[in-house]
Amino acid sequence: MNFLKTIKYPILKGIDFSGLTFLSPVVRLCYGEEPAVQIKKIVQWIIIPIIAILIFIFAWNQASDNIHTKSGRLPSPKETLLAYSAIDTFAEYEALKEEAYLMSGNERISELEVTEKLIAAIEPIVESTTEAVKTTKAAYAEKIEARIAPLDEERKKTDAAFKEAQASRKAALAEMSEALTPGDTAAYEAFLAAVKDDVSKTDEEKDKVRALKSEIDDIRDEKSKDVAKALYAQTQAAEELQFLQKKVDQLTRDNRSEKVASAKVEMSEEFATLTTLTGADAFKTARGIAKDEARLVKTETSDYAGAKTLWYQTRRSILCVFTGFLLGSAIAIPIGILCGLNSTFMAAMTPFVAIFKPVSPIVWLPICLIIASAYVPAPEDSTLMNWMWEDAWFLKNYDINPAFIASACTVALCSLWATLANTALGVASIDKDHMNVARVLKLGFWSRLFKIVIPSALPLIFAGLRISLGVGWMVLIAAELLSSSEGIGKFVWDQFNNGASDSFAKMVVVVFIVGFIGLLLDRIMIVFQRLVSFEGGAAGV
Amino acid sequence: MSSHENTRFVEISNLVKEYPNPYGEDFRVVEDFNLNIRQGEFISLIGHSGCGKSTILTMLAGLNEISDGGIIVGNKEIDGPGPDRAVVFQAPCLMPWMTAYGNVMLGVKNIYPHADKATQKQIVEHALSVVGLGDAMKKYPREMSGGMQQRVGIARAIALQPRVLLLDEPFGRLDSLTRMELQDVIIDILAREKLTAMIVTHDVDEAVFMADRCVMMSNGPKAGVGEIMEIDFPRPRDRKEVFSDPAFFSYREHLLAFLEQRAHLKGETRIHNRKNLMGFCGLGEKKKDNQAHSAA
Repeated sequence: MNFLKTIKYPILKGIDFSGLTFLSPVVRLCYGEEPAVQIKKIVQWIIIPIIAILIFIFAWNQASDNIHTKSGRLPSPKETLLAYSAIDTFAEYEALKEEAYLMSGNERISELEVTEKLIAAIEPIVESTTEAVKTTKAAYAEKIEARIAPLDEERKKTDAAFKEAQASRKAALAEMSEALTPGDTAAYEAFLAAVKDDVSKTDEEKDKVRALKSEIDDIRDEKSKDVAKALYAQTQAAEELQFLQKKVDQLTRDNRSEKVASAKVEMSEEFATLTTLTGADAFKTARGIAKDEARLVKTETSDYAGAKTLWYQTRRSILCVFTGFLLGSAIAIPIGILCGLNSTFMAAMTPFVAIFKPVSPIVWLPICLIIASAYVPAPEDSTLMNWMWEDAWFLKNYDINPAFIASACTVALCSLWATLANTALGVASIDKDHMNVARVLKLGFWSRLFKIVIPSALPLIFAGLRISLGVGWMVLIAAELLSSSEGIGKFVWDQFNNGASDSFAKMVVVVFIVGFIGLLLDRIMIVFQRLVSFEGGAAGV
Repeated sequence: MSSHENTRFVEISNLVKEYPNPYGEDFRVVEDFNLNIRQGEFISLIGHSGCGKSTILTMLAGLNEISDGGIIVGNKEIDGPGPDRAVVFQAPCLMPWMTAYGNVMLGVKNIYPHADKATQKQIVEHALSVVGLGDAMKKYPREMSGGMQQRVGIARAIALQPRVLLLDEPFGRLDSLTRMELQDVIIDILAREKLTAMIVTHDVDEAVFMADRCVMMSNGPKAGVGEIMEIDFPRPRDRKEVFSDPAFFSYREHLLAFLEQRAHLKGETRIHNRKNLMGFCGLGEKKKDNQAHSAA
């Protein structure tokens, strides 16, 4: 009990510190502190938002029923959730395939057996579901035809009746036109009225027929829930089967150890041939063996080359945004400090800030791409790139390429302004009394800078960094989309171009992923901001 | 020579401070301010708001440029601020990101760069314990009351081991109890360290209780020394004794009369308001009479 009491305030402080203040009434309620007040707060900050979210989901569901596009209906919340699980399953499959690729020896053989058993188990399911799709489709078609048949009959009948009526009207008008005598205005007026009447009647009849037709079309377009369900079950089974077959490939034909083994066999055969040859032929074969050997070394250490998963792309995006953000901050903070310290320097920088600040990322990106690829024209030959691919810490998993660098530079160029402005403001607005203290204490330039100027500007610098990171994250997605740098933006672009049935839903999933990560980044920056602000209780936690 | 140095430890001569007004004309805040301060003497500077008291102190501190005239401290004309003239500001001006210890250490590290860490630490700890903060060294400014913060400000000043201590309305923002405590702290320190000091204040009691001489400034613009009053209480001073001494009231009365008269010169106060303004003025006058009698 005492322990619970002692951790109460640290918990509340931690909640306050991380900005999750909506949790604090819950904690207080658990401790029985003013239950009425806490419940009111819980209703306001937890229940009401949950209701709002439910209302949103409901409205979204309604909207998705009514918004039809070329690429399909606006995905409903349920479809979005299914798309999310599809993304997740894909990632899981890729991981399993990679595992399979790297397996060797007995492990590989036993895994192969297991997988083949699974395939044997799933094949009948695929067949039965395909059959089920066929039957449900046929049943549904029958049902539709039954509904359409009377309508179609009616349409045909009305159409025939109208055609007949139109023909008789046409004959009557022809007769009337024959009987006309030039100069008889009244007769001409009557004729004109009759023609007008005929035109409007014909239009009316056409509309009626058209209405019937569209009614029939609507019935044809109706999607059956049963068919959709059967299709979904079939797709699931077929996808799993396809995965298992590909896994078998990774365990046999494409397996790393298998490839190495077969290459070795081939080479020893080649060597056997070599021993029988002389002269130019021997030279040619020997060279072939030498080349194969070099290739073998690469194969031995090669990684699984599968499709990139969204999770990998998300991690790479986060890496990219932090690269750009750090780059931008490394430029913005020193320049901001100089601007704040020296008004002449500030005056010199003002035109650049004013002109470059409003430039859109869409403009920066192509420029950055050109410059990045100019500096790294052949990534394979660059020592730096090779270092990043092979040795650099965790970077080697993320295939740093010119597109990545260009995206990061774009993020830096678009996000540095907030930090620059805030740093300059923070440094310029340093308390004059603090400067007087520094003068009395005879602090030198550097200790003035590091002991007084920068600490007192830190809260504002961090406020700027927080804005910068938010801007950078927004910019990055656009930059990746354009530069095809492997990341969330590229995922969206691929889905846009892909046009599969769930592409639209996957894009909606990305909306939430991007939003959630943006929120997370912001919260992290808030914590940092509070750590450096000397008014809040940073030192206390 | 040594006596000369002693009586004229600080020499302020023909000091002028000019600010350009919005039309570019020079506006003289202080003109021909002359004052010599003995070594170890405590001067209080009193005058109406805006008369330039703080200007003089900040010029002496070197924080404010001198327009004309000069200030000599210990045979050397001052040029900018320096640790020989430590300042206690009206606001404590502590760095909020440093502890009390860190705030004091900031100056110490810079003034004694060659001292080893242990010595520096000793100086800081000594200064903080002198002001009564021996137990609060690790506290941050936000965790301290205004009075405690000002104590750190005082500790930071005396840790520099200055020759002159300048106090710029140091207790102006404190409640009267805290103010009294801190006055005693300063008086103790001065008694021990034999520092020369100058305090700018609005408080008549403070000006009389703390100082050896009270410099009353004439009203600005072109403010100068209006009058100097020697205050002859033995040191170290005891609050109870001083405040019960009849002479205290006569000094106080004299000071008030001076300020009153200056205010009147400005045309802001009428003579018949005087009694309303100072309820116990009559008492002061009586005491003065008594004192005159006893002196006779």
